[in-house]
Amino acid sequence: MTVLSPRPTIRKRLSSARALLLAGLGLLGLGSSGLPARPALATDSPLPAGLIEEGHYQAVLGDCAACHTQPGRAPYSGGMPFKLPIGTIYSTNISPDPVHGIGRYTEAEFARAVQLGIRKDGSALYPAMPYPSYARLSKADIHALYVYFQRGVAPQPVSPPPNGLIWPLSMRWPLHIWRWLFSPSIQSAQLRTNNQFSDPVLARGAYLVEGPGHCGACHSPRSITLNEKAQTAKDGPLFLSGGGVVEQWVVPSLRQENRTGLGRWSEQDIVDFLRTGRARTGASFGGMTPVIVHSAHAFKDDDLHAIARYLKQLAPARKETPWVYDPTTTERLRQADLSQPGAQTYVDRCAACHRTDGAGYGTVFPPLAGNPVVMTDDATSLIHIILAGDSTHALPTTPSAFAMPSFADTLSDKEIADLVSFIRQSWGNNARAVKEGTVRRIRQNLPQLETPAQLPKN
Amino acid sequence: MPDETSTPTRPDVLIIGGGWAGSIMAKELTEAGLNVTMLERGHDHSTAVEGTYPGSIDELRGAIRKRLFQKLARTSLTIRNRPDQTALPYRQLTAFLPGEGVGGAGLHWSGCHFRATEDDLRLRSATIERYGENFIPKDMHLQDYGVTYGELEPFFDKAEKVFGTSGEASSVRGQKTGRGNIFAPDRSDHFPLPPMADTFSASVFRAAATDMGYHPFSIPAANASQPYTNPYGCQMGPCNFCGYCSGYACYLYSKASPNVNILPALRQDRRFTLITQAQVLEIMLDDTHKKATGVRYVDLSSRTEKTLEADLVILSAFQLHNVHLMLVSGIGQPYDPVTQTGTIGRNFTYQTITSSRVWLPEDRFTSQFVGAGGAGVAIDDFNHPGFDRGRLGFIGGSPIWVNQAGLKPIAAAQGSGGKGAPRWGSAYKSAMIDQYRHSLGIDAHGSNMAYRDVYLDLDPTWTNAYGQPLLRMTFTWKDNDIRMNQHVVSHIGDIAHAMGATRTSLNSLQPGQPFDSRVYQTTHLNGGVIMGENPKTSALNRYLQSWDVPNLFVIGSSAFPQGMGYNPTGLVAALAYWSAHHIRRTYLRNPGPMVSA
Amino acid sequence: MGGAASLSSVPLLSRTAEAEPDKKAPKVPENDPAHYKPTFFSQEEYLFLCHACERIFPQDENGPGAQALGAPRFIDRQMSTPYGFGDLWYMKAPFHEGPPELGYQLPYNPRDLYRGTITPINTHCLMTYNALFAALPPDRQDEVLHDMENNRLRFNDIPGAAFFEQLRTNTLEGAFADPAYGGNHDMGGWKMMGFPGARADFMDWINQEGAPYPFGPVGMPARPDPYSSAFQTDEEG
Repeated sequence: MTVLSPRPTIRKRLSSARALLLAGLGLLGLGSSGLPARPALATDSPLPAGLIEEGHYQAVLGDCAACHTQPGRAPYSGGMPFKLPIGTIYSTNISPDPVHGIGRYTEAEFARAVQLGIRKDGSALYPAMPYPSYARLSKADIHALYVYFQRGVAPQPVSPPPNGLIWPLSMRWPLHIWRWLFSPSIQSAQLRTNNQFSDPVLARGAYLVEGPGHCGACHSPRSITLNEKAQTAKDGPLFLSGGGVVEQWVVPSLRQENRTGLGRWSEQDIVDFLRTGRARTGASFGGMTPVIVHSAHAFKDDDLHAIARYLKQLAPARKETPWVYDPTTTERLRQADLSQPGAQTYVDRCAACHRTDGAGYGTVFPPLAGNPVVMTDDATSLIHIILAGDSTHALPTTPSAFAMPSFADTLSDKEIADLVSFIRQSWGNNARAVKEGTVRRIRQNLPQLETPAQLPKN
Repeated sequence: MPDETSTPTRPDVLIIGGGWAGSIMAKELTEAGLNVTMLERGHDHSTAVEGTYPGSIDELRGAIRKRLFQKLARTSLTIRNRPDQTALPYRQLTAFLPGEGVGGAGLHWSGCHFRATEDDLRLRSATIERYGENFIPKDMHLQDYGVTYGELEPFFDKAEKVFGTSGEASSVRGQKTGRGNIFAPDRSDHFPLPPMADTFSASVFRAAATDMGYHPFSIPAANASQPYTNPYGCQMGPCNFCGYCSGYACYLYSKASPNVNILPALRQDRRFTLITQAQVLEIMLDDTHKKATGVRYVDLSSRTEKTLEADLVILSAFQLHNVHLMLVSGIGQPYDPVTQTGTIGRNFTYQTITSSRVWLPEDRFTSQFVGAGGAGVAIDDFNHPGFDRGRLGFIGGSPIWVNQAGLKPIAAAQGSGGKGAPRWGSAYKSAMIDQYRHSLGIDAHGSNMAYRDVYLDLDPTWTNAYGQPLLRMTFTWKDNDIRMNQHVVSHIGDIAHAMGATRTSLNSLQPGQPFDSRVYQTTHLNGGVIMGENPKTSALNRYLQSWDVPNLFVIGSSAFPQGMGYNPTGLVAALAYWSAHHIRRTYLRNPGPMVSA
Repeated sequence: MGGAASLSSVPLLSRTAEAEPDKKAPKVPENDPAHYKPTFFSQEEYLFLCHACERIFPQDENGPGAQALGAPRFIDRQMSTPYGFGDLWYMKAPFHEGPPELGYQLPYNPRDLYRGTITPINTHCLMTYNALFAALPPDRQDEVLHDMENNRLRFNDIPGAAFFEQLRTNTLEGAFADPAYGGNHDMGGWKMMGFPGARADFMDWINQEGAPYPFGPVGMPARPDPYSSAFQTDEEG
């Protein structure tokens, strides 16, 4: 719809994957350089029917807009700022403008950039561009993507501001070494991903997760050199076993751990979650929400099921005693026994939506009982969301969005620590207690809260 | 996104007012492929802001300082009881509470979601059939809607599914089912959600009413008894009986509102444009005065006057404002009570409501703060069509119910005392606390008939902030309605006794008692732009299309020829869907009068 | 009839207050209503307010009265909100008296009503009983309040009942509004009544078969400050 009252546009959040890498390295430096030349793809040549649509879908699968489209600006015109301790850098214009965008890239140059991280001018890209994952893209998908960016996107004659990195980090040549060390060749990447499963659904799932979906960029642990420790299911149980803490959100495991992974999520739960940001078993928050908003909700149903089925067969990275609902806390609360630390706050501020039995209410208010993100070893996410609040987003697949308020000004560090410990140890949950100091540290680094204009409209 | 100073592009349809009626029409007409622009005089409203938890659980800001209600400072109306009086301005929001902002009164309503009885829609015909024409008092303008229950049934059903209404059917496609209202007409389907739970107060009433041979049923509530996803994909949370319905945006997304149940889907539709802070001043007509060309409005954000044109205009503001806009736009002929000519302002009606109080023994806590706006137990034994009014000598009727909607402390304190009891001091304080803890309310929520000298017109003296005359209300209670109310209330004492009451305070309308604008008596205002079969006695045809200006439809309770015993929102929604259906099916193919005058 | 300007300003009496309402409180936390310094009311007006509110809602065996609950503080703070300035009311002239059923018809907002009445009441008390209202014994104070409630007193063009209703309304608001507004100190009003406050969740307690609800009250969060301009005008943006 169109709104004709003065309201700011909804902020698009920094995707976690980008933030993670940016913290250490930098940003995609893909851009035009050098001499004028004629457009790489003549705009008058006929195209096979549906190719642009297919390319658009590839761009959705790869979530290109997350970094290259600024909210409120023309699609793929870049310029999204990433503020890093080492300076501010900006995403590039990847529209087909011949001067400011990638209008002069040939398909081979385009593929080299997307899949190997090498720009047209030969310099290396910052690996915030997940080219180690994109290396797995098939030739056909790359072709569609290339056609889409040349023919399906309007050229935008704007340049992002110059990066403001301080030397020596402004030098790109060391990135070649990183690339050489950690990024696979296209051939090896494709072989590794494509030869894992004979079941075509699982094979498609592997392709989507390990390739364009680049789930491992966040959900796989990284080594000190910031490379993903595992890039495919074949690489062992570290793959998708949970990433670090990004923007004060814990990136959980997507493997089959019973308590802290997806062990108790059905294939349909995963599909629902990716398509709508909400499932019976939990709702999206933090860094995952933009991924769903910009990308996952628009995946085809078959692709969502392929992803879910693939994730369902990833063996647990850790053995965990199965979560079983324990009614003790529920019974105590219903008998008005608030003697446990945190119980009073829970009843006063949380139970209205999440219930005394921690079960929440369907896909509207997520459960806390048995929710894997509540039981991760690191409680940062739970503390963060209580302090800052968060909201799901309205999507074409689900027009309603729900907001959790911020309790930063309502609850003290001690109250939150007790509350988080209470939640992590009730209803069969068994995670470690949380200390007041942990809450204080997270509170001090809290990002700016959503303003009323950014909150859901329903 | 266009900025605030730009002139919006010409839509196909203009909708005036962003409440239930406007949102339903906007949804239906965008579905028909039309570009629809909705103008709302207030601000946008969302659960995450207006209903944020727990900050919105604030009685002072909500119901007392009336955050979501009409800003009287800008516009109000004048009120008098009789045509020979000087009407005076309604300076403080008291008797009724129109909304302002997106969602309108549909954001701060309670959630009682009734259909209409078969007789409600053809009350004149039904009364004559049962009791003869002489039964109708001379000064009563008793009329039929021109649409029957059978015709509206699919639209009642559709509205319930959109609202996520909780309730229990009695008869579905001719099959007896459940323990719903046995007097309710047959339904094509069940309610989308099971009925709301009974509060303690409601359960005591249910038991007593059952023992006495009455037929209690759960009030159909647009408060979701479970999480729900409606046909538009809009989701609701479950009602937890927090009691903050009436006067508030529901923080749990569990009370149906345009904001929660329809607008999320509309906001995703490119054909839909919402312009907030747009105070419509006039529906513009062409030279023939037979065609609406668009609207003139004040953009309150830029304080500039603007016009917008469209092919079709839907007037769907609050009842009072629908009548006001018709009058100031010069559409139709204003009603004249002396000559009984003209239709605009005719058949203005309200709701008779009297609340009685029942005290239970001191070891029984009624927890009146627990509640939901639409939840409760009612009996229709004095409201249903078959209830014999012949020997009683009145037309209309009234459900009796315990509708514990969540009594908050300021309202409880201010409502305590009176009728001889102290209103302040220690004795008051003790009585007030006792009343809060151990009493419950029983309401007679009844119909209100239309009368010759009860009407709406323009005030000669007072103006709104835009220099327009205020609407003038001439309204009081009439004998028929007082008799009806007194009869119904006379049965409440026995029910209270059966409930184990230690004490009761029964309230009914008294003969000669004028309408008192200082006391809240529901926001169920009806009529003034009524539908019907005869252009001499109605402003709209049975499709809610203006007889005078066929490309104008006026949707809302302003179309009710008289007030029924039930709350109006269910019928407003059904009439909106009914009208939209016929606009889509007939009008759009062949724009023009759908009924020949 | 005009607006507030037409109120004749009765000179303030220079006599110092005898009954100091804050005296009783020994050592109290900072937000104790007893320590409040009014910003709208003069000391003398505030003294009247404290005593009048207390008679309307007195401390007794049921629990705290209006003073201990901070109702006068609440009223003082409300005077600086849009409500105090009459912005919530239709205040366009002309103003005519009419039958009571047609509602409030005075040209005065709440600030005007208090300002225009308190000093004349004190003058009335001095002339009739030789003491300010606050210095009168409680039953005498009740008498004055009854005379106002029943419209036996009128101050300038403000009927006693109009002022009394304003005072009663605001006193009860102050006793039971969320503590964030300055009244209902320590949720004392809610505790007395058995109202659980801003928890707003009764899913497990919808029908307790007549047993009392088990939990005490909880206030709404400290933020937003209900007297901040952002909170007062949030409808505007």
